Amino acid sequence: MPLATYQTSVPVVVDETKCIADKGCTVCVDVCPLDVLRISDMRGKAYMAYDECWYCMPCEADCPTGAVTVNIPYLLR
Amino acid sequence: MAMDEIVDGLSEVSCDVLVIGGGTAGPMAALKAKLKNPKANVVLLEKANVKRSGAISMGMDGLNNAVIPGYATPEQYTKEITIANDGIVDQKAVYKYAQNCFEIVEELDSFGIRFLKNENGDYAVKKVHHIGTYVLPMPNGDTVKKALYRQLRRARILISNRYMATRLLKSADGRIAGAISVNTRTAELLVIKAKAVILCMGAAGRLGLPTSGYMFGTYENAANSGDGYAMAYHAGAALANLECFQINPLIKDYNGPACAYVAGPFGAYTANNEGSRFIECDYWSGQMMLEFYNELLSGKGPVFLQLKHLHPNTIQEIESTLHKVERPTRGLFQQGRGVDYRSESIEMHISEIGFCSGHSASGVFVDDNARTTVPGLYAAGDMASVPHNYMLGAFTNGSVAGIDAMEFAESHDFADFDAGEIAIERERVLAPTKREDGIPPNQIEYKTRRLVNDYLQPPKVTRKYELGMRRLAEVREDMQERMIARNAHELLRALEVQSIMDCADMAAHASLYREESRWGLYHLRTDFPEKDNENWFCHTLLRKRNGVMTSEKRAVEPYVVPIADDEKDLYDKQRIRASA
Amino acid sequence: MSSPFESYDDLEDAEERLQAADPAERRVAIIALGHSGDPAAVGHLANMVSDPDAGVRQQVAMALGEFDGPEAAAALVKLLVDPESNVATAAADSMAEAKDPACADVILPLVKHGHAFVRMGALRALKELRRKDTLKPALEALQDPDAAVRVQAIGVIGFLKLEESIPALTALINDPDGHVRRAAVSALAFSQMKTAAETITRALRDEDWMVREMAAETLGLNSNGALAADQLIACLNDAFWQVRLKAIRSLGKMKIEHAVRSIGGCITHEQANLRKEAAAALGEIAAGEGEAYLALVANDPDPDVRKNARWALQQIIAKNASAGS
Repeated sequence: MPLATYQTSVPVVVDETKCIADKGCTVCVDVCPLDVLRISDMRGKAYMAYDECWYCMPCEADCPTGAVTVNIPYLLR
Repeated sequence: MAMDEIVDGLSEVSCDVLVIGGGTAGPMAALKAKLKNPKANVVLLEKANVKRSGAISMGMDGLNNAVIPGYATPEQYTKEITIANDGIVDQKAVYKYAQNCFEIVEELDSFGIRFLKNENGDYAVKKVHHIGTYVLPMPNGDTVKKALYRQLRRARILISNRYMATRLLKSADGRIAGAISVNTRTAELLVIKAKAVILCMGAAGRLGLPTSGYMFGTYENAANSGDGYAMAYHAGAALANLECFQINPLIKDYNGPACAYVAGPFGAYTANNEGSRFIECDYWSGQMMLEFYNELLSGKGPVFLQLKHLHPNTIQEIESTLHKVERPTRGLFQQGRGVDYRSESIEMHISEIGFCSGHSASGVFVDDNARTTVPGLYAAGDMASVPHNYMLGAFTNGSVAGIDAMEFAESHDFADFDAGEIAIERERVLAPTKREDGIPPNQIEYKTRRLVNDYLQPPKVTRKYELGMRRLAEVREDMQERMIARNAHELLRALEVQSIMDCADMAAHASLYREESRWGLYHLRTDFPEKDNENWFCHTLLRKRNGVMTSEKRAVEPYVVPIADDEKDLYDKQRIRASA
Repeated sequence: MSSPFESYDDLEDAEERLQAADPAERRVAIIALGHSGDPAAVGHLANMVSDPDAGVRQQVAMALGEFDGPEAAAALVKLLVDPESNVATAAADSMAEAKDPACADVILPLVKHGHAFVRMGALRALKELRRKDTLKPALEALQDPDAAVRVQAIGVIGFLKLEESIPALTALINDPDGHVRRAAVSALAFSQMKTAAETITRALRDEDWMVREMAAETLGLNSNGALAADQLIACLNDAFWQVRLKAIRSLGKMKIEHAVRSIGGCITHEQANLRKEAAAALGEIAAGEGEAYLALVANDPDPDVRKNARWALQQIIAKNASAGS
């Protein structure tokens, strides 16, 4: 059975100019209870890899450089 | 290496006490066990990362049930919980909590967790309920997890993040022997042999589907997929009163509570469309939820959180807590909707169903020492059966569990288990990764939870339950035979949906067993609409016997705090309708 | 497979990582030190308080909050006076986490600092340390030109609960700032002395409703509060229902029988919270005279009001029964 990709707009947005994941920071990835953030191999920056967000905020609150913004997922906005 | 690529691997470690779940009860249990015997090895296993895991990820805005000298007594609290829970309470554990919890508040304060204090340094306890005074706000509650983590590091607890426990190991004579877990980023297995195991794995909060349709927009932390309930079940432990569901009043579409406990002391209240209060019942309970539900459906609905009668200074004070702690995106949500508390009331609704003794009474059966029915296995927090426990109960009973489990570990050696079990579990866990083609976990999950909403959500109708169980069995077959996981993260979700399915089955089975209505909306059976004290003034215990789900009655333990006959229906008496 | 456990070797190459040329790399190293829980990390962090990068210093201030004791406090003292406000704010927050009374030694000198923010941060941190020798500097800080500093100083004094500070707190009820007056009234709750009750009674006539509200509430906690019963009764005409509500609660708590008529007068107020409180207070007092007022709300549209009225009636009946027997 073939699988299709389902498009969603993800709630967590990372400002790559502020993100210091390429310097070894993993704070946002560590604190996510749903484990949906990853650091891109290509760009060395954090991003939301899976749209499974509880919009709980530690990624934004604990980011040392203020690079992360959590938005309310569109379905409940 | 590709993202979350599956790695073949299995290793084994051993420890004296294994704590599974690093949210609220778990860190406290691990800490107390380690402090009891600093030479012992204590492992804290966590599916996410203990830094921000569990129901209190972003903190909590207050204690709802603090029994603080001068404001409430343990006897008064025990009575209150007994009445709110329609009498189905083993009081010993509740009373013990009530006696110990103030000491825990003081200890948390010493950890640097800040409670609201008056300018004279006393705790600023707030009155919300009619009879007792139990609410202690935590305006800096967002630092709870940080303070706990600090304690864990100082005590040098062995912390294992991103490992999801899947099954417990037992010896032939039924004693606990350890647990099997899987790394959520590599799918490598880790077997942990332990002399005692404490389950602190939180609520089953991903059971019902939120009305928004967003699968992770649940009231509980969406990571709390009921894994602890499922593991306890498969280990043969008894689970108590699972038909006493958790349902909570929420801001419509948003998963944050309406916060009677934060805004209440300032004068805010839940009102109907006429702007009037309508909740007759005093303490948070199924009865309260039934009144809420009825009002929503009545001509006087919908229901609102009313703040606009408050002074702007007061509203500002409320906002500073509501928008910072527990659900900090609440402010963002209201802003997006263009709702200003000063001029508009906030529409409310009820949450999806779940299991959670923290708010109701559905949990793994434990006694007043947090012991389950399996020797060496303990449970604490939202998943253990001590009713209406909230966060302070998780801390207090986590502490009890940690100390008792260490004592158990000191007097027992490792139990032997059948090594073949590991091979069987490995095959079961990895099965979705071995298939080339099939159904992804998110679709299995959506369908399961949609069926939960359609068929299991109260009011409970027997025929609907029977149909729902049939449909769930079909999905279970798909889950077992056809589910695929293409990377380790997807495998995590695939394992979670198996917990969700087990919980759905247990919810259905337990609900059909109790042939009466009790606990207001939590167990409202339309074909048995009355409370039947003659036949059902008892706990129900669900467990797996010879591979089959069974339920039985268990007598309520004699009360330690006697309740006079005229107090028993205290709440009924308070429910005085205005005469027409 | 690598170890499944979090490492406790965080300090291994800390020295080297803290010297990295890139400030972002230094930041990452500091975060790790903060999380380590290892007291030996404090020394490393203290060495970073003069880092040229403000972001790094801010991170140091946050990381130091994970440790208690004079060494961490001494480093935070340096960051509290940092010219960058982000750094200073982080330092103030971290300093407020301190629990070890020994921290007071390094924090105390800042109470005289030239910047109000620093004085405020220092006093805020001293509150929880509850050390007797902080009383004198805190009393002096009550003369501070900055109101926010005075509020923090009141906290230090209030937490110490020393009767000798009553005159100083009393003087504050003439303070030009409402927050200061409110805090002073709240702090006076530690005392059961008549003088404290008298001061709080005067605050019932404050121009700021939030001060009046606090005073009405606090009187209920003072064993001499009943001396102010008439003044509390006068509050039942206050323009703010919030003030009336707290006055009613205190009158009920103190069981002031001659307040029944005035409380009863509030029982039909449009604000349901006030009706509810009035009904409850009539129950606390349990005087037979209250019955007639409670009858007025027997069919109140608000269930909480009915609930409290019903309970109050029971109290009155029970009291009469025991008086009769």
